[in-house]
Amino acid sequence: MSTAMNFGSKSFTPRPPDKGAFPLDHFGECSAFKERFMECLRHSGYESAACRQSAMAYLECRMDRRVAQLMANEPLEKLGFKDLINEKSEEKPEKS
Amino acid sequence: VVPGETALAFYKAKNPTDKPIIGISTYNVVPFEAGQYFNKIQCFCFEEQRLNPQEEVDMPVFFYIDPEFAEDPKMAKVDLITLSYTFFEAKEGQKWPLPGYQ
Repeated sequence: MSTAMNFGSKSFTPRPPDKGAFPLDHFGECSAFKERFMECLRHSGYESAACRQSAMAYLECRMDRRVAQLMANEPLEKLGFKDLINEKSEEKPEKS
Repeated sequence: VVPGETALAFYKAKNPTDKPIIGISTYNVVPFEAGQYFNKIQCFCFEEQRLNPQEEVDMPVFFYIDPEFAEDPKMAKVDLITLSYTFFEAKEGQKWPLPGYQ
């Protein structure tokens, strides 16, 4: 935080995250998912929209108690993945 | 990144010393006017995080840009928003003046 000695320059006020802080993945339990996501970004020219499936997989890993439980279980629709969920559930009947 | 769409980003931090470090981070958004549209759903910031000697960790941030960003004429020329984090070493007993948190 700097003292505003110059008039007209506004200082930035940070806001805390909506859902709180992420604990760190000290044991790298979800690193594989993170790598897959980063690979996707590199291939897509860093288009976030192209890699939402991988991002969702990473967050699912964090929520999975059997794996990492680094994140409170949150329905994926609430995290902005509603359209991807619908795709998933449409696939299932065809597979069985 | 498309305004309104949730996105994931990763930072990496390493403790190059031989002692554990407890740090706390805060962030900054440039350009300043874009900051109001930047919404963090979850991140590693504002809470103390411990890094053991030589430990390297991935630090994720899950966020979205408010869709109103696309409606704001002042943002019309903004096509690059930079999010940066600064890690401070947490000193014992130090209270951080974080507005409205806890």
